[in-house]
Amino acid sequence: MISAQGISKRFGNFTAVDKVAFEVGKGEILGFIGPNGAGKTTTMRMLTGFLPASEGRAVVAGHDVFEEPMEVRRKVGYLPERPPLYVELSIGAYLSFVAEIRGIPRSKRTRRIGEVMEQVGLVGWEHRILGSLSKGYRQRVGLAQAVIHDPEVLILDEPTSGLDPGQVAGIRSFVRGLAEDRTVILSTHILPEVERLCERVVIIANGKVAADDDLVSLKNRVGRGVRFLVELKGSSEAGARIPQLVGALNGVDQVKPLGDEAGVVTDGFTRLEVRAPTDPRTAIARLATEQGFVVRAMERHEPSLEEAFLAVVGAES
Amino acid sequence: MNVAWAVFKKEMRVYFVSPLAYVFLGVFLFLAGLFFYLGIVQTGEASLRVMLGNLSVTLLFLLPLLTMRHFAEEQRAGTFEFLMTAPVPLWALLAGKWAASFALCLILLACTGIFPLVLAYYGDPDWGVIATSYLGLSLACSAFVAAGLFTSSLTDEPVAAGLGGVLVLLPFWVSGTAADMVPVDSVREVLRHMSFLTHVEPFSKGVVDSADVAWFVLFTFAFLFLTWRSIESRRWR
Repeated sequence: MISAQGISKRFGNFTAVDKVAFEVGKGEILGFIGPNGAGKTTTMRMLTGFLPASEGRAVVAGHDVFEEPMEVRRKVGYLPERPPLYVELSIGAYLSFVAEIRGIPRSKRTRRIGEVMEQVGLVGWEHRILGSLSKGYRQRVGLAQAVIHDPEVLILDEPTSGLDPGQVAGIRSFVRGLAEDRTVILSTHILPEVERLCERVVIIANGKVAADDDLVSLKNRVGRGVRFLVELKGSSEAGARIPQLVGALNGVDQVKPLGDEAGVVTDGFTRLEVRAPTDPRTAIARLATEQGFVVRAMERHEPSLEEAFLAVVGAES
Repeated sequence: MNVAWAVFKKEMRVYFVSPLAYVFLGVFLFLAGLFFYLGIVQTGEASLRVMLGNLSVTLLFLLPLLTMRHFAEEQRAGTFEFLMTAPVPLWALLAGKWAASFALCLILLACTGIFPLVLAYYGDPDWGVIATSYLGLSLACSAFVAAGLFTSSLTDEPVAAGLGGVLVLLPFWVSGTAADMVPVDSVREVLRHMSFLTHVEPFSKGVVDSADVAWFVLFTFAFLFLTWRSIESRRWR
């Protein structure tokens, strides 16, 4: 549904976006992440046709963005970073202007506006003036504006920035509901957002695609993988051997002490990070029982997108 | 066409929900009343010649304030990005915005209709001359609105756009005065024709010359075209 084919954007000598290429299929929510100034907004502006690309080609909803811009505009819903609102108008007047521009026939307009206002949680607010709204409500109106024409493709630039947790959850479930038969690009730097919503992630750094993968394999490939944190304590001479003993267990690949060189932290416990292809905790518990160690913690740590993100972006910059 | 109509309605709504239109109307009608009074006192004749002449110069200074927000504010508020990613052809946007400001001008002029009625009550004005005078003023409004749209497309500072509009229009006023000081005939003629006053004046005498009408229509289209180019070039920068 969306295909960026090596698009670049140069502003004078500065290359904001450098030969970015990726594809997004129908029904997919793509998480588009990257540090501030990485080129996310510029890329999205090129995909919507707002900015012409300096080179490359983009096809959105079956139309070339540069050759058939009007067709693309008709089929795309776009929420820019700052919701595009006319502060003098009421919510109702604004949405009916958008609906009219979007070519929704007069007979269906009122019903459609009612539907989207309900979807984004604005029922009863049609007479409120946009300029008087709080950030969360502005964002909702922005979303309503983006979906009013039931677009095939949705491009959302940081839809949840500056919202409170309740509002974030609301927008998240709204976007998930939309994605069923549409294509969504979601740009954000709130990573938990991406982990909850997206199956696929494109990381952009310094204007280039630094990673393009599905969420799970990205985390396993680039991040530090699954690992286990254990905290054990024995008598002083047995305690010193804990790292070796754990490391010698069947199936344990690697043991990394987290305290001093023997892994001992200030209160006498030995803290270790253990890597193993299968869960080693039963084996460690058995070892502790045999040796009479006190067990304080045995935790499984999933790889996080944040780690993957930092690994990718750190390597780029 | 529907899109242009939607833009037109939106602009009219923005004018009338903000204080702008009302303040504008107030200032304009106050000045119109003043010129009407002074005109009667000075000439003692039942005509609007003085008032309409002065009003056209007043409009030169005031209309850019009415048009300054059109593109500057859209750029500033981020709504320009919305318009340019919605199926809004640039011509429809231009047409809608121009028409809204022009319509507001017509409303302003209609409000000054009280003055000819006053004349009719006390004297016997020439209705034909009054009609052509209003036609001339309307044409001037059309031209000034187009120039104001152009300067609004150049910047995202509405105030700069407004003052810029006055700046762009000023040569088309003072060139008439400047013409009298130029000894070279050909240059004098060019300068004289540059001035909108040269082309408004015949209307206030009841003369409708197609050359004068064409001057204003061309002026309007020239600036709408420049606006178009300026918006297009902004996207490429």
